[in-house]
Amino acid sequence: MISIPPNASGIGLRLPHIAEVVATHPPATWLEIHPENFLANPHAAELLSELARQYPISIHTVGISIGSAGGIDRRHLKRIRDLVDRTKPVFVSGHLAWSTHNDTYLNDLLPLPYNAEALRVVEMNVHKVQDELGRPYLIENPSSYLGFAASTMTEAEFLCKLVRRSGCRLLCDLSNIHVSAHNMNFNPREYIDALPAESIDEFHLGGYTPEDGLLLDTHAAPIADHAWNLYAYALRRLGPRPTLIEWDNDLPPLGVLLGEAARADKIAADFIDREADCARSR
Amino acid sequence: MPDLADLQARLRDAVINGNAGVIVPFFADGLEVINRLAIHQRNYATSLVQALLTKFPATAWLAGTRFITEAAQSYVRRHPPGVPCIAEYGERFPQLLAQCPGSERMVYLQDFAKLEWHVGQASIAVGRSPLTFDDFAACGIDMLPEALLTLQEGLRYFRARWPVDHLLQLYITQSAPDVLELSPADVHIEILGARSEFHFQRLDAGTFIFRQAISEGQVIGDAAERALATDSAFRAGQALRSLIAAGLVIGMRTRTHGGNNDND
Repeated sequence: MISIPPNASGIGLRLPHIAEVVATHPPATWLEIHPENFLANPHAAELLSELARQYPISIHTVGISIGSAGGIDRRHLKRIRDLVDRTKPVFVSGHLAWSTHNDTYLNDLLPLPYNAEALRVVEMNVHKVQDELGRPYLIENPSSYLGFAASTMTEAEFLCKLVRRSGCRLLCDLSNIHVSAHNMNFNPREYIDALPAESIDEFHLGGYTPEDGLLLDTHAAPIADHAWNLYAYALRRLGPRPTLIEWDNDLPPLGVLLGEAARADKIAADFIDREADCARSR
Repeated sequence: MPDLADLQARLRDAVINGNAGVIVPFFADGLEVINRLAIHQRNYATSLVQALLTKFPATAWLAGTRFITEAAQSYVRRHPPGVPCIAEYGERFPQLLAQCPGSERMVYLQDFAKLEWHVGQASIAVGRSPLTFDDFAACGIDMLPEALLTLQEGLRYFRARWPVDHLLQLYITQSAPDVLELSPADVHIEILGARSEFHFQRLDAGTFIFRQAISEGQVIGDAAERALATDSAFRAGQALRSLIAAGLVIGMRTRTHGGNNDND
């Protein structure tokens, strides 16, 4: 398995870009894929296997449905495991959300109440995933539009308890924190302060879209200044982590994604330089 | 407050059917729940409708984008995905198209959409190195009737009631005339795709049945008998030679008394 330096930014690899990436081998440090785009597409899976020999790969699931009260789809999980075996990813991650109920897959990330029952369900499902994959699973904080009356703890508290009980790791999506903080009216920096820094393995940054006073996590736009500022804050509070640029809709040319990754690299490098200067002056 | 499973069942129904009223009390006060829930309803419907439009561009060309979009909206409400891989979603969309108001003016629409579905599925396959005549010679001719063949995974066999292959060719070559008259015809179409490429061709009835039966897992002898039952002029040896020569066979197993001999 190839590792990723903590101050290195990667890009989300989507199917429209895959042939170009195979052909031109652009200077991306690492690539993150949604396995659901490859499991039923043998040609794309073949190209991914080729790329996995050249780039560190991260697998970011959108269909595991870790919050499903009905449990994990074993068949889907096995297909993920087979892909993990073939591509040897650096990370395997998914969202604190649910998308499947019985035999219905909703192709969206739906919210969970943050209470003891949901914690038990998610913990049990994380154990199943980690047992099947034989490795830690990274849980990503979701973008939120709704809160439940039955919630008894904050999202950050829920994640802290989940980490302690399941041994999972965290993927901290800074754009999601900004989106949720705006929509749910909380302080994004206090949210970051409440996360267990030692359990965070990866950052995400993605674009969002303002609509009717809310922010929508569309991954259809450049990363906004608010998210970049939160990224700089997270670097100070949590330290550098491999950072992923997500862009899923209205996909721009590959060079735009690489430019965003270079910007993230520059911010992380400046932070590291400043830390080194401070250490020398001490 | 319902338990989590019940809550998720109600939320699923609200997302698919747009009926949010019954679950509003479960959300925190002070939020515009209906408007916010609509974000999830839109995420669900828009992403799946877009996925269907992406899979059926030729059908949209034939029937009109508005017709297909409305049909897709109906489809995602009536047939939510059962699996998280959206590449596998939409197989039954052609059947729904045939039930939509207005489709009676396009009686070939279902067959056309089915052909496009098969082409889409075939073109994401991966071609494998085919077996050669030497591989078959090594098997021994006496064993052939009991042999099971594995064909290229990008092969599809589709029997249509209309010459929809001709129509699809017009779409691909952008050469459709202003007016086209189609007459019903029993056409047997073989589609072969791999790595984003595809082509399709018509087969005679005997060859089609033979190849389709093999692709469904029948031994060569049984496939040949099925073809002969339809077409008395069918010649099994010739059909097998053409199948091998076309590079369509990638594996062979011979059924023996003790089990299978593999030759992949």
